Amino acid sequence: MPNTQAIQRKTTSVEKLLRVALYLVLISVAAIYLLPFVVMLITSLKDVEEIRTGTLLSLPASLHFDAWSKAWSSACTGSTCEGISPFFLNSFQIVVPAVIISTILGAINGYVISMWKFRGSDLFFAALLIGCFIPFQVILLPMARTLGWLGIANTTSGLVFVHVVYGVAFTTLFFRNFYQSVPSELVKAARLDGAGFFTIFYRIILPISTPIIVVTIIWQFTQIWNDFLFGVAFSGFDTQPVTVALNNLVNTSFGGKEYNVDMAAAIMAALPTLIVYVLAGKYFVRGLTAGAVKG
Amino acid sequence: MKTNAINSAPNKAQAGRPARLSLADWMPKIVMAPTVIVTLVCMYGYMIWTAVLSMTNSRMLPSYDFVGLSQYERLFNNDRWIVALTNLGIFGGLFILICLLLGVILAIFLDQKIRSEGAIRTIYLYPMAISFIVTGTAWKWLLNPTNGFEKLMVDMGFTDFTFDWLVNPDKVVYCLVIAAVWQASGFVMALFLAGLRGVDGDLIKAAQLDGANTFTTYRRIILPSLKPVFFSAMVILSHIAIKSFDLVAALTNGGPGYSSDLPANFMYAHTFTRSQIGLGSASAMVMLGCVLAILVPYLYSELRGERNA
Amino acid sequence: MANLIIDNVVKRYGQTEVLKGINISIEAGEFLILVGPSGCGKSTLMNAIAGLEDVTEGRILIDNNDVTYANPKDRDIAMVFQSYALYPNMTVGQNISFGLEMRKVPKEDRDIEVARVAEMLQITHLLHRKPAQLSGGQRQRVAMGRALARRPQLYLFDEPLSNLDAKLRVEMRTEIKKLHQKLGTTIVYVTHDQIEAMTLADRIAVMKDGEVQQLGTPQEIYDNPTNLFVAGFMGSPAMNFIPTKVVETEKGLMLEINAAQKTLLPFPRQECLKSYVGQTIMLGLRPEMITEPQAHKEGDAFVVTTEIEVEVTEPMGADTMIITRIEDNEINCRSHPAYTAKPGENINMMFDTSKAVAFDQKTGVRIDAQ
Repeated sequence: MPNTQAIQRKTTSVEKLLRVALYLVLISVAAIYLLPFVVMLITSLKDVEEIRTGTLLSLPASLHFDAWSKAWSSACTGSTCEGISPFFLNSFQIVVPAVIISTILGAINGYVISMWKFRGSDLFFAALLIGCFIPFQVILLPMARTLGWLGIANTTSGLVFVHVVYGVAFTTLFFRNFYQSVPSELVKAARLDGAGFFTIFYRIILPISTPIIVVTIIWQFTQIWNDFLFGVAFSGFDTQPVTVALNNLVNTSFGGKEYNVDMAAAIMAALPTLIVYVLAGKYFVRGLTAGAVKG
Repeated sequence: MKTNAINSAPNKAQAGRPARLSLADWMPKIVMAPTVIVTLVCMYGYMIWTAVLSMTNSRMLPSYDFVGLSQYERLFNNDRWIVALTNLGIFGGLFILICLLLGVILAIFLDQKIRSEGAIRTIYLYPMAISFIVTGTAWKWLLNPTNGFEKLMVDMGFTDFTFDWLVNPDKVVYCLVIAAVWQASGFVMALFLAGLRGVDGDLIKAAQLDGANTFTTYRRIILPSLKPVFFSAMVILSHIAIKSFDLVAALTNGGPGYSSDLPANFMYAHTFTRSQIGLGSASAMVMLGCVLAILVPYLYSELRGERNA
Repeated sequence: MANLIIDNVVKRYGQTEVLKGINISIEAGEFLILVGPSGCGKSTLMNAIAGLEDVTEGRILIDNNDVTYANPKDRDIAMVFQSYALYPNMTVGQNISFGLEMRKVPKEDRDIEVARVAEMLQITHLLHRKPAQLSGGQRQRVAMGRALARRPQLYLFDEPLSNLDAKLRVEMRTEIKKLHQKLGTTIVYVTHDQIEAMTLADRIAVMKDGEVQQLGTPQEIYDNPTNLFVAGFMGSPAMNFIPTKVVETEKGLMLEINAAQKTLLPFPRQECLKSYVGQTIMLGLRPEMITEPQAHKEGDAFVVTTEIEVEVTEPMGADTMIITRIEDNEINCRSHPAYTAKPGENINMMFDTSKAVAFDQKTGVRIDAQ
């Protein structure tokens, strides 16, 4: 043991070098990760001429915000040319109710599955867990028919419904795993104190659930905002979420390609989730790992 | 006297227990009911529905003329499907492998008491917050052969540099890999970093007292204990790969031709735009089969582990 | 205060029977302790009394009312949990008054009751804190306060002291005993700590494998265990079990043990040994009955002094445990600290069999039951 210590002491200069190399590697990798976003930003601030003559990384001579305003309010997305702003609004109309409903359902389900087990509740949880993983392609067509029958095909309510149905598996998983670590004695004590099902939930369980509520809301917000498959399959022309509109905008080719407008629109579509990530990254990561490694 | 009380009282328990039928006792079941019904119908019911459709000759509208497994036969004789499956193999394999490698290495690097680790971690992970559609749009521009990366290199003096993978049918699938790795590798890093932080500190101390150097400690002690994280990451990544649809839609739209199609895109195209509901359903069922082939062994081992714990 | 009758209670989970017909009945104001190794069913029984788990068969009566199928809240029971189960989002005061609030007690009365309980437990200064800001001992007091505030008919304690450190545990033990003496409440108390059981209980029910092995006062259980399990479970260090052969001599039936040399021990209850002549039985002898030779006991009827080989000595301050081995069974002897020997040496010890008990070697059942 003293021997290795001596060796370690001798190699401090080598170690220093290694550490510098380590930092260099980490920082260059970070630069690579940042690059696409930087390029998007630079490109969105150039005019078409600069894009044609310059390279990805050449900075714009002066800042042009034309591409941003065009992407927002007048770029063509398929049949209309109103920019992505109406679709941005659609996305919010879908995301807000879907997140709220699926989070509430998940909280109650998680509460029941971990605190009020009944015959078959564990089996049901297993069934739900598998539901987190099924490829949505196997439910697309039947769901399209169902939405038609319910009269909510091509509406934002239809998309809210779909996102709630397939989001509940995840939200339930989150809450269940969280409540699993809450001592069951808490509920026993409350029952002896005379509190009922909803009183216990509202007065005792909900007040300690803030962290998992934040995690769930962020997860659901990101998932639903970024969704494309349900959006493209179940929305009408005027109820498309912003991801679908962005894809249409990029793939619409009237005249020359306007990469600056594409990039501006892409950044706008990414902005809400990016802001959430920057503001609440800790909870975002917790959601990701909670979704991946079940507790 | 105590014993008297017991003996004299008739045992009512056998006479039939009064069922508690008050609303309060049913509450847990009542509030779970909507989720149970929706899950059974909209997940398992629809799965069966799609399975049924895959055995019919449905075209533009669902029909129920059963044709046995002939849609599956058509599917595997369909060149476009074979391309999609092959692409999934290449894309999935490379995507998972690179993400895992990159994720482990970055996690270990970041675990060396790095200053401003938080900032670096934030940068590695931010792509995961972005939609695949945005990722596709961004990389479509970056990989664009005329104005993108190629031009950047040429202008920097590498005049012979060519990079046309995005329009080369043999190489376009690698563009999907690049974009997907950019998006998801930070996530794998975060998973492994969380795993590394969870390793028992005494274990590492013991290894060091046994004379193991940093490299050996990682290789022999720490990484083997991360096996569960490794499996979770693999399951999540393969799940992402099999479901990948939006990335292709935004980055290549399946092109050139259908050279960069993935099964999800094949399914969508045949079900919703090419009026081949039967064939589309068959392809969806094959996708489900792929997911189950990965998921069932994983869940089985997870549940068994939980029972042993 | 109320009495409690547990009448032939059976609890099954599928095929496994966790409680196999429990019969216990305690008087109003009695302090009953359920003790046993983990998995013996004591916690299940506790939950059944509280109504947190349904029983499969049998009845539970509180204050002579059948509550077998009553809801927990209708049983008028309070429970103190091992984890304390304090509501983390509420202050100490709110924790204590929650049960009263649920029972629609008016605010003013609740405040009076909280103040009374807080004063009794000396936690008045903590009333506005949250549980996370309390030490283990303080949480324990709050948990008791929550139970006391409701003035229920029956108190259940589920290993309430297990999460405290050794010193605090002893303090709280005394405090619980004082509280019981002062309030005269009916208490059912689960523990796996046999010292807690001995010190607190009016009566102890020793459980194993879903059955009550013995129900009696602490002294009865200590002196007259009904089987090897109870004998081995209660007492620390545990009762010594010495395999001995029953032999016939001119002085009557004697027990032959292989200490450092063959020794014959007398046994008080001769008749029950008759059918075991020539066979080996288990002699149960508490450590304090194997001591250094004591002059005042010399010549007593059931005292024999013989040599043993010392294996290990464990000084404990007040006395020293000398550990020897008889036919592969470790034997603890309690001797005066001044009377020591080195490992490997032979020394004289005095065996007093006046309170010894005997068990069948195969079945573990007591053979000299009185």
